[in-house]
Amino acid sequence: MDKKYGVYICTGCGIGDTLDMEDLVEIPEEEGLNCTTHPFLCSKEGVALIQKDVDDGKVNAMVIGACSRRVNFDVFRFDNCIVERVNLREGVVWPHSRETYPALTEEQKDDEEHFDRIQMKAEDYIRMGMIRLEKVKLPTPYLPESFSKKILVLGGGVTGMAAALDAAKTGYDVTIVEKTDALGGYAAKLRSQMPVSAPFETLQAPVADKLIQEIQGYPNIDVRTGCEVARIAGQPGEFTVTFKKPGERIPFDVPFPLPEEMLVDETGKELDPEAAHAKFLEYNEGRKDILNLDPDGELYGAVILAAGWRPADLSKMGIDHLGFDLPDVVSNHEFEQIAAKGKIVRPSDGKPAKNVVFIQSPGKDEDDADFDYCGSVTSQVALKQARYVTEDYTDGKAFVIYQHMRTPGLQEYFYKSMQQEDGVFMTKGSVTEVKTQGNGLEVTAVNTLLGENLALKADMVVVAGGMVPVTKDDPVVNLAYRQGPGFRDNDIFGQYADSNYICFPYETQRTGIYAAGAIRRAMTIEESIEDASGAALKAIQCVESANRGMSVHPRSGDMTFPEFFFQRCTQCKRCTVECPFGALDDDAKGTPKANPTRCRRCGTCMGACPERIISFADYTIDSIGSQIKAVKVPSEDDFDEPPFRFLALICENDAFPALDMVGLNRIDYSPDVRFIPVRCLGSVNTIWIKDALAQGMDGVILIGCKHGDDYQCHFVKGSELAEVRVKKIGDALSSLALEEERVAFVEVAIDEYDKLPKIINDFVEEVDALGPNPFKGF
Amino acid sequence: MTETYLAQPDLGFIAQIRGLGGDTLKKCYQCATCSVACPISPENSPFPRKEMIAASWGLKDRLIKNGDIWLCHNCGDCTDMCPRGAAPGDVLAAIRAAAITEYAQPKALAKAVNDPKKLPWLLGIPAIWFAILAYITMAQSDVMTKIFNVFGIAWSHAHEGVIAQANFFSTWFVDLTFVPLAGAVVIIFLLSLRRFITDIHENAVMEGKTDKKNIDYKSLVQALVKTVPTILKHEKFNECETNKERATPHMMVLFSFIGLFIVTGIFFFVLYVFQTPGPYSQLNPVKWLGNIAGVALVIGSGLMIKSRLDNKDQVSTYKDWYILGIVFALGVTGMLTQMARLAHLEWTTYILYYLHLIAIFNLFAFLPFSKMAHLVYRTTAMAYAEYSNRK
Repeated sequence: MDKKYGVYICTGCGIGDTLDMEDLVEIPEEEGLNCTTHPFLCSKEGVALIQKDVDDGKVNAMVIGACSRRVNFDVFRFDNCIVERVNLREGVVWPHSRETYPALTEEQKDDEEHFDRIQMKAEDYIRMGMIRLEKVKLPTPYLPESFSKKILVLGGGVTGMAAALDAAKTGYDVTIVEKTDALGGYAAKLRSQMPVSAPFETLQAPVADKLIQEIQGYPNIDVRTGCEVARIAGQPGEFTVTFKKPGERIPFDVPFPLPEEMLVDETGKELDPEAAHAKFLEYNEGRKDILNLDPDGELYGAVILAAGWRPADLSKMGIDHLGFDLPDVVSNHEFEQIAAKGKIVRPSDGKPAKNVVFIQSPGKDEDDADFDYCGSVTSQVALKQARYVTEDYTDGKAFVIYQHMRTPGLQEYFYKSMQQEDGVFMTKGSVTEVKTQGNGLEVTAVNTLLGENLALKADMVVVAGGMVPVTKDDPVVNLAYRQGPGFRDNDIFGQYADSNYICFPYETQRTGIYAAGAIRRAMTIEESIEDASGAALKAIQCVESANRGMSVHPRSGDMTFPEFFFQRCTQCKRCTVECPFGALDDDAKGTPKANPTRCRRCGTCMGACPERIISFADYTIDSIGSQIKAVKVPSEDDFDEPPFRFLALICENDAFPALDMVGLNRIDYSPDVRFIPVRCLGSVNTIWIKDALAQGMDGVILIGCKHGDDYQCHFVKGSELAEVRVKKIGDALSSLALEEERVAFVEVAIDEYDKLPKIINDFVEEVDALGPNPFKGF
Repeated sequence: MTETYLAQPDLGFIAQIRGLGGDTLKKCYQCATCSVACPISPENSPFPRKEMIAASWGLKDRLIKNGDIWLCHNCGDCTDMCPRGAAPGDVLAAIRAAAITEYAQPKALAKAVNDPKKLPWLLGIPAIWFAILAYITMAQSDVMTKIFNVFGIAWSHAHEGVIAQANFFSTWFVDLTFVPLAGAVVIIFLLSLRRFITDIHENAVMEGKTDKKNIDYKSLVQALVKTVPTILKHEKFNECETNKERATPHMMVLFSFIGLFIVTGIFFFVLYVFQTPGPYSQLNPVKWLGNIAGVALVIGSGLMIKSRLDNKDQVSTYKDWYILGIVFALGVTGMLTQMARLAHLEWTTYILYYLHLIAIFNLFAFLPFSKMAHLVYRTTAMAYAEYSNRK
């Protein structure tokens, strides 16, 4: 692409009133670029002005100095042009007012004492925008060689069937893989299910049979029972799937990565890539390497993971005080089995169980936690099973002792109707003991709503076990990925298959694999069906993005992908290891193999690479590095007391919007900080920090999303990795006699815009106290 | 650590409460808005939240024996504020009705009083009884005179030439019916109260609502004396918001009963001590008191009926209509009897008087069994609350 540059600056929204436009326009003009100002650039006329230049072939790469790129992105969109939005409004004139920073008089402009901090910021931003245009290119999409739009559904329960039906109804070919010999899953074994329609008061027959029948009417649904996935190789759009019978051992069973302790030799030294690979093959004897594609494998575009759950094993939960060894103390799962057979009877003697106590939490008066893997569904199941008791016996009594009674949404009506039953008794409370008493059981509880230590006589006790996602026991998806066959960081999600429950439902940590139903969290049949639709739509979005070379999420529509300059690769494997999505597979030598459709374009690999050989079309080490270098660092040659200069690398997902909100709210912060949005803090290569300090900047701050248990990072691991890297850079800094405090790492949530100015100012003050960067002016 | 309580829900009791107007008893989700809304609930273990969970659990033992249900004046503030559509006021009223039945002896009679199907009996028995007595008064006067002469007592208090109820229905018969009846009622109440006080004390100790370990009856009586002005002034009743207007009619009815009691006492004394039978002059101040009380009774009970008819939110059941009907009928027939007499309508007077007697009989004889028993239980419970430092 032969770039033709142009600079357009809007003077509206206070930009023209605050900034010295003549001086600003000089910046591009000095570089020989045409600069146009307009009082209302986002108006029809303003846009037409740019469009005319584009149509006339005068411009195809432009700086638009106006508002934040987070607004008017649809207005300033010009096909086949590179558009660089320079944030003069939210980033410069809105947070920094002339009341705080008065404009300079003509005399002041020429002395070495005064400087205009707002104008300096605006000019730097224009310069940074211009250099970026020079460094980036328009992306060419990656298109896989072979391509399939077929959707593979793992699991033939309600969720899997519902997902298959949804996908099939929109015209996609679907294969359901079910390990057992029949469709239906757990729902097929229930006596009744919770109400799903108004007035939400009566139990209904499980929906499983209806779904099984409906599936028969869709020729584009291929059902394979008694079948499981041996491995899924490749990438979205071209997954090569090998099926097998459950329990069978075949060469295309997925291999497992070497455990960490096997990655070192006897002396504790890390094995070289080839030795490690040999050991890996030895460890997985009889199984082919992940890069060996099964010639008989079937091609799929995306996978819906609906493998469901298994009942929690309560005998291992340390709840001896609940008498789980007694025959008439059963789990909710066992109770359901009894109920499905007929009237509720005691397992010990087969006599009617008319007094049943449902225990919803471990109790013991220690805390109010529920059993592991429980959720609102567990409360609702207790209500449903209480209904069995009153259904079977007119004088039946069901007691529910809970710490939390969760009946979200319209299920509240179900709760209300159960409350109305004369024979249903509920109280919050902490169960202290279940023991044999005469011919039956006695349950004692404390802290109940009834005011004191409560005792109940029961024929039977039901303990509310949770729904354990099958991903806890087994990878299930069996991905032939270098990082391993399962999801890597499931411990953050309590072993559920998830990647970010709040922001990105259905998305797992593997692009193209969408989780639905109880594998994602404990949920009801009704919720699972809704979930199935969500996952089906995500799977469709995935195949329909992959086939156009677009990223699926969160950077939906992004057509860039990581490109490697392999000549300089040292096979250090850091990119393969650090990719949060397992997008890279290295070969026997340790050279990474990119799988672009697995990639989410976060740039974590780019941040990781010590050789800096990974780049994206519009996002490279050089493009950001050049922007940093474009910042003018004032020195004592320019001013008697030059202002400090700071760099902020700010995550574009949450922190950058928060910064825009600071501007929108006209809250001032140090105008000496230059912000560069990055795709994710994970993409920050430490070379940028070194470059900034080397050219005399006084401090660098990284602002990103929260990580840890309640992480908000869009790319799961980005900010976590960035923090580690910042810590490591501290050592390097001290060897240069620079204080570690000059580099900071902070986390903000998107709604914490009010905290951001203080965070920035505190950092600036701290560095101020250290004094100027000694490298300044070199 | 408090003692462990074995909860034994009683499905029959739940059904009973539902039947007595407490059918929202299972709607409570224990947010305690009711206890906060209640203007008269004490700070320590406030009602009616705890009563609501006990009711929804069918814990009869914890409700019947609970003095707090009597502290409630059913003003309806709780019902008004309840976010779940439960009506704690009505539930407590139903529990009180159940408690009255529970403490009353004989049980069969208590059940009959609260059973609309038995109403013909409740009205029929006194009707026949008074019909017989009227027949004897009017047709067998000679026989009675002879019998009474044996004891040296004058039979008739009847007047010649004027309309007097005694001509129709012997004063002796009236008093020989009602004096023993009153005695029986007092005995029934005393028996009930003994159990009642023991029970509410036991409950208060269990629920930690009192600092007293045993009941000291002398102090309890002192507390009763202290409580009387509160009751007369309707101090608790007046704290209500939602049904503020109910206090005045209730006060009218209460004071008219007190007035009529005084009037009846004086005339009883006048008749048997001074041997001066009625009718007495309309100029007599005692007569004024009687008339004022009679009018207040009619107006008061009439207003109560009207407010129950108007108020669709409050549940009104048979137990409410029965007692209100009786009181209203009693007042109306009483006043009409007097008017008919003054209008010289002899047979009208007698018939109205006959109806009046049936109403009085219902009120008196069934006092321990009807809602009217609250007179005794609430007073006792309030006295006990005062005694036990319930705050």
